[in-house]
Amino acid sequence: MVRTGGGLLVSLAVIVGGILLASLRVNLYFYFAGYVVLQYVVVATAWNILGGYAGYVNFGTSAFFALGAYTAIFLIEAFRAPLPVLILAGGLVSGLLGLGIGYLTLRLKGVFFSIATLALSVVLQTLIMNWDYVGGAKGVTVIRPGSPLFGNWVRLLFTVMVGLAVAAVTVAWIIERSWVGRGLRALRDSEEAAECMGVPTLRLKLFATTISGFLLGVAGAPFPYYVTYVEPSSAFNLDYAVNALAMPMIGGTTTWIGPVIGAVLLGTAQQVATVTISSELNLLIVGVVLVAFVVLAPEGIVGLVRRPRGR
Amino acid sequence: MRPWGRWSPLRAVAAVLGTAFALSSVGSATAQSAKPIKIGLGMALTGGLSANGKPALLAMQIWRDDINKRGGLLDRPVELIYYDDQTNPATVPGIYTKLLDVDQVNFVVSGYGTNLIAPLLPIVMERKLTLMGVLGLANNEKYKYPNYFQIQPSGPDPEANWAMGFFEIAGKLNPRPQTIALVGADAEYPRHAIDGARELVKTFGFKTVYDKSYPPSTVDYTPIARAIKAANPDIVFVASYPPDSVGMVRAAREVGLQPKLFGGGMVGLQYTSVMTSMGPMLNGIVNYDFWAPERTMMFPGIEEFFKEYQARAEKAGVDPLGYYLPPYAYAAVQILGRAIEATKSLDQQTVADYIRKTEFRTIVGKVKFGPNGEWAKSRVLMIQYQNIEGRLVEQFKGPGRKVVLYPEEFKSGNLIYPYSAAQR
Repeated sequence: MVRTGGGLLVSLAVIVGGILLASLRVNLYFYFAGYVVLQYVVVATAWNILGGYAGYVNFGTSAFFALGAYTAIFLIEAFRAPLPVLILAGGLVSGLLGLGIGYLTLRLKGVFFSIATLALSVVLQTLIMNWDYVGGAKGVTVIRPGSPLFGNWVRLLFTVMVGLAVAAVTVAWIIERSWVGRGLRALRDSEEAAECMGVPTLRLKLFATTISGFLLGVAGAPFPYYVTYVEPSSAFNLDYAVNALAMPMIGGTTTWIGPVIGAVLLGTAQQVATVTISSELNLLIVGVVLVAFVVLAPEGIVGLVRRPRGR
Repeated sequence: MRPWGRWSPLRAVAAVLGTAFALSSVGSATAQSAKPIKIGLGMALTGGLSANGKPALLAMQIWRDDINKRGGLLDRPVELIYYDDQTNPATVPGIYTKLLDVDQVNFVVSGYGTNLIAPLLPIVMERKLTLMGVLGLANNEKYKYPNYFQIQPSGPDPEANWAMGFFEIAGKLNPRPQTIALVGADAEYPRHAIDGARELVKTFGFKTVYDKSYPPSTVDYTPIARAIKAANPDIVFVASYPPDSVGMVRAAREVGLQPKLFGGGMVGLQYTSVMTSMGPMLNGIVNYDFWAPERTMMFPGIEEFFKEYQARAEKAGVDPLGYYLPPYAYAAVQILGRAIEATKSLDQQTVADYIRKTEFRTIVGKVKFGPNGEWAKSRVLMIQYQNIEGRLVEQFKGPGRKVVLYPEEFKSGNLIYPYSAAQR
């Protein structure tokens, strides 16, 4: 087992690696592709805290992601706020939404909770579509401020996303190894039994929805500067919800490394497929791989690796 | 299989990323050694706009083949490199960076539609490239980038010019209509079109009796049509995307909504599949369009283009007539090609300067760009569907079914007024 000190060291090494990679000034395309893959690391990790650890499947991932993006747009339009503020605010607003949704929907279980989160996405999208200040249905063009770090916005955003991915994975790792993680696992296996044993299930679920929402908002906050044009149908794209679910399922939902493996594998495969074979295959890849894993390896790649070792 | 403990997660991540980057680098090395003039684009080959994206790509491929048959550009063959943008703006930055940095294309052309052009503009601005836009509405209003050119004939003030023809026609009617209903989807294009229409309502002095939008996910349009009917407007202006255009026309028919003038900004009615499925239901609708097989629209080269397009369309499984977007997609690359030939240069600025100052004779007529990269003069047509009988596609190939009413210089027939008269 990796100790806390070792884990922090690896986190720092990855961040330094990201900064070095940004300073290398290799082909810009790699930063674009890398950004998307890392964004999915954050999204999949965030989803897994609620969906994997606690067993509450959230289909409204795109709502939290988009709320992060739209919070950023609001702050850019209103105050020209700097990127760190956008990320923090995006996370906070989405975290608050997570908390609120937790209060409202966590009495629902299984598929009913999932349907409620899907409905949340539809409701939020309708609200954004009718809020003209952030572009409404027309969308909004975001002009990036001049002179970013590393001399280019794409390199900067890549480095920022490296940091966010490390932070998200670290949070998941800490949760997994703390009493919170144990409590979430207990309520995933049997909520009634966990409650009887004194596990504060409602508080834990609220914590999970809030942290998950926060990280999804954090992933969405730099999106306006990445894409420079945001409109509701792309910000609330179902791809985010599908990938957020598929990536941890493929990697393995029971541990922090599962979503990372799933996001890197699937995210990279999608990026490569888009510019090589045909992006028509993109969703097909996700669908086929997801079905294959659900049928053949329900515990994901992590489960496949662990199985021969009898763990 | 190696035990998990020895195969550290970080090494696994690095290996996957490394493999992906290595694969991409192979593509990069191949691209660098190629000789053709490369034109790169992302196009909606899947997703919501693919029904138009695929025909647009076919049109550009026809241009490429035409040019290559004639010896290419600057004695070099032309190669089109394209990727599917999935009708998703979030894919655009990655695709175009790949085109520019890995495939090393000489020029880029946009994909189809406002949403797909918007994320591309900052990339071309940063690199000071020339960009030919394919059917975007008011993309350059915020940036004012001088090297952006857009082939949709919206005109210098895209939002206002869009519905101008509809209101010009309405304003000249006798007896003059008094009231108007505005209805559109909560989506990008309809919002632009409705905003423009609101301004024109003031200019022309109509009284708005209904002004509402509906969610894009709407499936039943009869309540909307009933609500409009209850307001009893003389004119109904609709701004909609293909599914809702069809829904609105059917619902209007079903509830007996019979204003004096109906139509305006409905996307989708121009598609062959929609025209053949709706058939006589279209009679009387006055709607925007870009081209119609009328004598006034027969520009040099357009018949040859359609002959080639229609021959290849069936095999490609795309719109069999291709009157809406394909000729404009062809014209966009035609202009780029002419500018490269005329300047004998692949320099972005030189080519852009030439495009800005030149009037081009293309298969969609004379094209001259204004300061914001839009057509210097609007040429959004207003056509009326007339005399449609049955649902056979052949009838749409000849004149008299989509009669051009506006602008005056391209007028090919007269309005049948009121709307109900054209439905008899």
